[in-house]
Amino acid sequence: MHLFLLIGLLAFSVLAVLLRDLLKSAISLAVASIFLALLFFLMNAVYAGVFEISVVAGLITVLFITAITLTRGDGDVAESRKHRIIFPLFFLVLAVVDLLVMKKLLGQIPAIQGSESGTFSQVLWNQRTFDLVGQVGAISAGVLAVLALFRRDDMHGTASKGGSHE
Amino acid sequence: MLFLFIIVPLVLAGLLPLLGKVSKRLLPDLLASAAMLFLLVLAVFSARPLIADGGIIQQAFWFGAPLNIRLLLDGFSLFMLFTISLVSFAVTLYSINYMEHYGAKANYYALLLVMIAGMNGLVLSSDLFTIYVFLEVAAIASYALVAFGRGHDELEASFKYLMLSAVASAFVLLSIAVIFGVSGGVSFGVVAQGLKTLNIKTVVGFCSGLFLAGFGLKAALVPFHSWLPDAHPSAPAPISAMLSGVLIKVSGVYAMTRIFLGVFGLTPALTTVLTIMGIVSIFVGALAALGQNDIKRMLAYSSISQIGYVVLGFGIGTPLGILGGLFHLFNHALFKSLLFLNAGAVEQSTGTRSLDKMGGLAKVMPLTAATSAVGSLSIAGVPPLNGFWSKLLIIIALVQARMHVLAVLAVLGSVITLWYYLVLQHQAFFGKLNEAWQGVKEAPFWMSAATVLLALLCIVTGLAFSFVIRSWLQPAADVLGQGVGVALNFIGF
Amino acid sequence: MNNLWILNMGFVALLVGVGLYCLLTMKNTVKLLIGVEIIAKGVTLALVAGGYARENLMIAQSLAITVIVVDVAVIATALALIININRHTKSLDVRKLTKLKG
Repeated sequence: MHLFLLIGLLAFSVLAVLLRDLLKSAISLAVASIFLALLFFLMNAVYAGVFEISVVAGLITVLFITAITLTRGDGDVAESRKHRIIFPLFFLVLAVVDLLVMKKLLGQIPAIQGSESGTFSQVLWNQRTFDLVGQVGAISAGVLAVLALFRRDDMHGTASKGGSHE
Repeated sequence: MLFLFIIVPLVLAGLLPLLGKVSKRLLPDLLASAAMLFLLVLAVFSARPLIADGGIIQQAFWFGAPLNIRLLLDGFSLFMLFTISLVSFAVTLYSINYMEHYGAKANYYALLLVMIAGMNGLVLSSDLFTIYVFLEVAAIASYALVAFGRGHDELEASFKYLMLSAVASAFVLLSIAVIFGVSGGVSFGVVAQGLKTLNIKTVVGFCSGLFLAGFGLKAALVPFHSWLPDAHPSAPAPISAMLSGVLIKVSGVYAMTRIFLGVFGLTPALTTVLTIMGIVSIFVGALAALGQNDIKRMLAYSSISQIGYVVLGFGIGTPLGILGGLFHLFNHALFKSLLFLNAGAVEQSTGTRSLDKMGGLAKVMPLTAATSAVGSLSIAGVPPLNGFWSKLLIIIALVQARMHVLAVLAVLGSVITLWYYLVLQHQAFFGKLNEAWQGVKEAPFWMSAATVLLALLCIVTGLAFSFVIRSWLQPAADVLGQGVGVALNFIGF
Repeated sequence: MNNLWILNMGFVALLVGVGLYCLLTMKNTVKLLIGVEIIAKGVTLALVAGGYARENLMIAQSLAITVIVVDVAVIATALALIININRHTKSLDVRKLTKLKG
């Protein structure tokens, strides 16, 4: 089951990269997210799973689709045809190296056990409060960035005057 | 109390877009500058006595109620806090005049404050994951600030910067995830303890490689530097000063040094890699700067070169080398932001960044020319200005560590630096005044105030270098000199 | 436990590799962002897998959620940039973004 979900996650990620149509790409990314969320559920990480489904498969996909729609018609970018040959080769090499190295790299590490107790919310609130402040910072940075980039007074071009790059 | 360093800018950033509706200019100007002055005073007077007996962990309070946030303050983080506050104060003063023609001032200050909050949070955090989170906070704000003008160049530079920076963050986070899986924790103490007991060289080596690539990208060390010469010149001048002056140091050099020296412990292999990256950066940056005609691009390449000196100093690993690296970090924050602010003043007055078109500007912009001369001579390492002392310390440390070839190369790099800064001064400010600039006026009051402040600090730091070293740098160098021991001390908290 | 961790980490490496491939070879700006997303997925998996293997699952989930939230902010900023660039160049092709020398 675990392996099946991992393969699904990987397969849909690869599809997201290789598909020509951006919308289909974004949707396969969302499907990959759902596989990842199911993996999280399987590993008892319920909260992470819920977040993965609602935020990544939901919100981020919506953001992607909005952006793709807003730029529609300009979305046809000629990608190199060589991907059909290069990507399988690249992937094969990567997989072989991965298979050879990963076991050696991580296999020697003794299995130490963590010593945590308490429920999820207790851990999040008692140990990771600082990260919550960081989350607030990241969200406000994102909101302010979007506000700045879509502000109405259209004054762009003022700073690139003089054409000093030529 | 330390929590104020994060929460004051963050709360103000949240309020500013609303206040901006009431007062478009005055209130944002006033509040942002006041906040930065407050943080500067806090860093100089209140935070310093706290670390009289070495580093501390302080619990954060929110309106009197204790929070489960533990902030780490020691010599190194205080030193960085001070540098951040100082440069940001100068930058906010400068922005009062400079940002007029961009519009949306409240939004600009809000982003700047979020970036400062992110950097302060990074510096005060005592665990690897929190470093990553605040790294991203500062980075997201900086993407928007680079693109703030919304011209084609700005957007392009910002997009490239975002892509490379996202990869850098991913490398850092991947490394943290592996360490978390190996040691079962992410705080400095637990990780240092875990890595010490487990003794797994290959995994630590692998993670070091990821960190090196990630933070190397953030610090724009060669070969990870390609984004910087685009991103830093494209931003508005105060943001260029902020990015080159502090952001690359906090999110690149500080984070890397903190983790390598304080948590992993410096290994001989790491020393070799860091010194090589340092010396290569010095030369690649300096030689590329030599051929630039765009004043801001020249300064950006010069940043790569000077960051090379800082990393070279840290890479030596001896107390003197670390001291020299720290001193150069501080000095570079001062003179590089000064030079970027001056470049912005010239660009605003003349409308060009091309050195060919300038000439003789000293006659019409005497103050800008004078401060720029101070900055150029400092960065080139002319005695008795501050850049001379820090480069001297690094070179002495190299000689002491028996790296004679590197010492000669470092001197050579300094000569090239002097060369292109003389070119800059000559082409921009000296010689015959270009006809077109007859009507050019000196920069407005606050812009000049900021540059004069930084230029005076360059001179004072140069003259009173022994005082600066004793009071600010030695505590920081001591922390780094103790290595992993510091992290292990905090394990109980 | 350890074997499952190694299996997970193996797939993490593959995901990061695929994401990097996307970043290095693709020419569409939105596609590049999808590459960033795939790398982020790999890293989230690495965090949760590490927590599962060491019975630190609660902390691991807190970290994973923070990563997801931060990621949303990055993606939103990047998409805002892409839409703005699209207004200038009328294209999503990164090859049109060559004004700066790099």
